[in-house]
Amino acid sequence: MKFTQIWAESFRAMLANPMRTMLTMLGIIIGIASVVLMLAVGDGIKAFINKQLAVLGSNLVLVQADSRKAVGARLKTGTVQTMTLDDAAAINRLPSVSGAAPMLTTFSQISFGNDNTNNQVQGTTPVAFRIRNLRLAKGIALSDEDVATAARVAVLGKKVAEQLFYKADPINQRIRIDNQSFQVIGVLDNEGQSFDAGDIGEVVMVPISTARVTLVRTPTPRSVQYIIAQSKTTEGLNEMVADISDLIRDRHRIRADDQDDFRVVNFGEFAKSGEAIATGLSIALGFVGAISLVVGGIGIMNIMLVSVTERTREIGIRMAIGARPADVLWQFLIEAVSICLVSGIIGITLSAALAAAITSTGKFDLTIGVKAVMIATIFSCAIGVFFGFYPARRASKLQPVECLRHE
Amino acid sequence: MTTPSSNTLVKLTGVRKSYFSGKVETPVLHGIDFTMQPGDFVAIMGQSGSGKSTLMNILGCLDTPTSGEHQLDGHTVNKLSRAELAGLRNRTLGFVFQSFNLLKRMSVLDNVALPLLYANVPRAKARERARAQLAKVGLTDYANRQPNQLSGGQQQRVAIARALVADPPLILADEPTGNLDTRTSTDIMNALTELNRDRGQSIILVTHEPDIAAYAKRLVRLKDGLVLYDGPVREGLAQLQRDTQDNAAQETAQGAPA
Repeated sequence: MKFTQIWAESFRAMLANPMRTMLTMLGIIIGIASVVLMLAVGDGIKAFINKQLAVLGSNLVLVQADSRKAVGARLKTGTVQTMTLDDAAAINRLPSVSGAAPMLTTFSQISFGNDNTNNQVQGTTPVAFRIRNLRLAKGIALSDEDVATAARVAVLGKKVAEQLFYKADPINQRIRIDNQSFQVIGVLDNEGQSFDAGDIGEVVMVPISTARVTLVRTPTPRSVQYIIAQSKTTEGLNEMVADISDLIRDRHRIRADDQDDFRVVNFGEFAKSGEAIATGLSIALGFVGAISLVVGGIGIMNIMLVSVTERTREIGIRMAIGARPADVLWQFLIEAVSICLVSGIIGITLSAALAAAITSTGKFDLTIGVKAVMIATIFSCAIGVFFGFYPARRASKLQPVECLRHE
Repeated sequence: MTTPSSNTLVKLTGVRKSYFSGKVETPVLHGIDFTMQPGDFVAIMGQSGSGKSTLMNILGCLDTPTSGEHQLDGHTVNKLSRAELAGLRNRTLGFVFQSFNLLKRMSVLDNVALPLLYANVPRAKARERARAQLAKVGLTDYANRQPNQLSGGQQQRVAIARALVADPPLILADEPTGNLDTRTSTDIMNALTELNRDRGQSIILVTHEPDIAAYAKRLVRLKDGLVLYDGPVREGLAQLQRDTQDNAAQETAQGAPA
């Protein structure tokens, strides 16, 4: 018998007992919907984490002076400031590096009118804006000229601007940082945790040259506290770390058997572990969904076995008029797969509707991916084949004489 | 075919059939020899337990003999696989059952077309042929009904249409009038007789009613798994009547007070 015929018959069989078919399908519908939704939740969490991590900027490392054994006693990290503007410039020139920014930071009192706050002030260069993914809500970023002229300009974090100016426009206003006058030229749009300064919204950024002159005392005119560097690609991150180590060891004239006088902190690792957590969560949630699918599949097997018993006489009649065992096998198998496939489509539709409802609340973004839909479809067919095979094979093994005797 | 029996439609040689439940063997057929030429109309009779249902199942290729040889339309049935048996049934046999055995969920037309679908005839073509066959049994108007909307006689005519649709050389009718009233029975038997007379359709009819057997040309009587009589239907039925009277007389004699 032709397959199109068998499909048509299987749909007729499904419609012959709509209530039972519906109840059977329910298990698979719930299973498929939960798998799709769980995968979407996993993806949503991953996207959420990535969004959070993007605040940091991706593929970043921090290079800072490390304690060095000076006369036998190990000093606190950062106490010795051996990193310099020239180290930063050299790192910036490495082919694996997309940008490197020197940093000088301090906590200062920021005041405007009668209001004041205490915040971290970061002295840096325009490169930092690019590699740290900083966007401006208002105004402009620091420029190379600002750095060259040690201009007294500042870019405020979002929260600092809100605290000092409430709803007024801070651009071109003059604020005081440690009692020095600065002109506000921009306000950052970013929010969330940064890796070196807490909430990026509570940071004030000034040219590194200005910071050195007005806010931070440095041991030498060119030393910096740390350098942030970004690799060109995620894959190239480790390579860049090695390049930077080699470069700085060379520049600091460290002998082959001596320890580094600096360390490289890899923030890419954080991003990676965040991703790993999200993936793990995705798999765990998908697994929960898969369990309900298996339960649904057992339901299908159950009903198909009942159906084979109920339709024993029909099987006998079909065999008498020429159905081969393979015809009977295919008929029941395709019936099981049809039930699963239709359930799968309903399940996917249901999960898409639920995802849309959840997304519309604005709390969490849920998108049903093509991948999830494909996994669900393939899975539902596989469930049909797997759980439909045993009943179908049993039907095909029946003896026509016994079937015809069956009431 | 080179064998001299090439013209033979059915040939049973020393067919035995036993049923086994565990180690206990229950023989049902004790060695049946039976030959049928195309165009014949054979009635098989026998009391319950005589083995006529078992014989019918073997003739219908629904069951295989424990020993002996079964040839049908040039094929040695014993040697065929289940799938080959299904194909053989599809091509060479048309079944008419006592309880009609139509598929409930399908329309009358689809029921009639089903054997053709199993023969891989395209659906449109199969339905066309089924429609033509329904016209021959006078049920054109009922093509799109469900079987249970038809009377018993109509259902049996649908079953006959289904049996004939693939143009098989042999029709097997198992108590085809068993569930019908006398008038409808007459209609069905007339229809079968016409098929045999006008088209030379070979028919094997299983029945326990002498009136129904009388429509056939030849009678085979079974008793305790053996052929008791095989010959023209008229003499066979006369013999049956004598046997029945003898039995009745015997019972009366036994039952009479001493």
